[in-house]
Amino acid sequence: MTERDDDREFRDLLAAVERLPKSVEPPRDLWPGIEARIAGQGEGGRGRGRILAFPRRWALLPLAAAAALVLLWLGRRGTIRPAGAWEVTRLAGRPLVGETPLDASGALRVGQWLETDDSSRAVILVADIGHVDVKPGTRIRLVRARATDHRLALARGAIFAQVDAPPRLFFVEMPAGVAVDLGCAYALEVDSSGTGLIHVTAGYVELQWSGRRSIVPLGFVARTRPGVGPGVPFTADAPEALRFALEAYDFGNGGAPAVRRALAAARPEDAVSLWHLLSRVEPTLRVAVYERLEALVPPPAGVTRDGLLRLEQRQLDAYWNAIRRIAWRRIILQGVRDIDPRTGLGR
Amino acid sequence: MTEVVRRAQQGDQSAFHELYREHVGRMYALCLRLTGSAAEAEERTQDVFVQAWRKLASFRGESAFSSWLHRLAVNLVLMERRAAGRRWARVAAVEDPAALEQGGEAPSPTLGLDLERAVAALPEGARQVFVLHDVEGYRHEEVGELLGIAAGTSKAQLFRARRLLREKLDL
Repeated sequence: MTERDDDREFRDLLAAVERLPKSVEPPRDLWPGIEARIAGQGEGGRGRGRILAFPRRWALLPLAAAAALVLLWLGRRGTIRPAGAWEVTRLAGRPLVGETPLDASGALRVGQWLETDDSSRAVILVADIGHVDVKPGTRIRLVRARATDHRLALARGAIFAQVDAPPRLFFVEMPAGVAVDLGCAYALEVDSSGTGLIHVTAGYVELQWSGRRSIVPLGFVARTRPGVGPGVPFTADAPEALRFALEAYDFGNGGAPAVRRALAAARPEDAVSLWHLLSRVEPTLRVAVYERLEALVPPPAGVTRDGLLRLEQRQLDAYWNAIRRIAWRRIILQGVRDIDPRTGLGR
Repeated sequence: MTEVVRRAQQGDQSAFHELYREHVGRMYALCLRLTGSAAEAEERTQDVFVQAWRKLASFRGESAFSSWLHRLAVNLVLMERRAAGRRWARVAAVEDPAALEQGGEAPSPTLGLDLERAVAALPEGARQVFVLHDVEGYRHEEVGELLGIAAGTSKAQLFRARRLLREKLDL
């Protein structure tokens, strides 16, 4: 439920807002003026050296993998797409749209299911903001196709979603919550019990369920279970002891012993997990979580013990920003540069 | 990070021109709605791309390029409007205090849609909150942070903006 959903009083107005174009061409070409202004700035003013020194071997594989889909996407942008529908293209086998086998491509309308069997795959173009690769054995429905709310429901199976849009425009509903895109790419699976598993490969995703939320950054994994909601995210290379402890705490009534096991197993690389625990544990355990987190990744200037223990949002946000940046640098530079997981700086 | 962004980061102006072509409509729409003025929107859109060129080195692909550019544009427009507001307030305080509650300049006839015109004519604060929350999808906490106001003030401004629009559009 979003703030907007709450407000039925202005339904007609909000419906009109949704019809506003996201893009408006300026009345004249603004490029000549921009070109004239940037022409004299050269590369030095833009810190080019720093960028050139930044290795990007990691990016080659996803780029290559995405290339085919991008070409497919660009090639089809000129085609007419019915209102309230997204284009879906068969990649392998015979996916079903509703009851009808999909030929080369077709439309997935609001309310319709797309279903793949063990040998079929498809790709859904999410309006003009991204695509969703639908893996074999998946059942997924188009819930909403609005400019401000692109929404799918994944009942079971696996998808890979890549979206290039401002945050909170693309959503995937699951039996155990909603994945809210914050500008990212991610793999998402839902098993037959409705349990969801997300692995974020770029940017961030927010998992929500009934007021509970987890922010899952690049390189992190999180589970979400029906009736419980999202668990604490953990890095894909987290120690087994930490993963088991978090699983026990989130979904197994592990309580304080599980939290203590998690704290004992946590490394500086696991600060994202401890930051989530900080606001979830009972107040009596909060000091222990804070002290372990503070020892692993010292809080930035201005963030205080008292503020964090009182769960002041600004303090939590400031600490989060420091932790997520360190995590991002560590993961993005993995195998390239040795990053201190306490500071995010090179060693 | 896309290849075209990477090339632009390495100083390739033709790549940056490609990025301009891809994003100019979205940026102009954002600037137009936030400023309520076609002329100012053109200026701010140019500023956004000039600023983006300068800051491109700091873009690390942590989010999508469009998200990064969007946030940069919002910050730039709001910063400029705050500065302009301070300049205008000093003049208006002497000449016409009521002017601060009026919208910006008359909406451009090129806006076309009634809703666009009505949004452009909203008082500054209400318009910014409405555009950021209802059009751009920011949450009240985020709007508050961007505008330097409390989330509660953002909610109040949004309610005011919606009521003004509903009355004006007879919805």
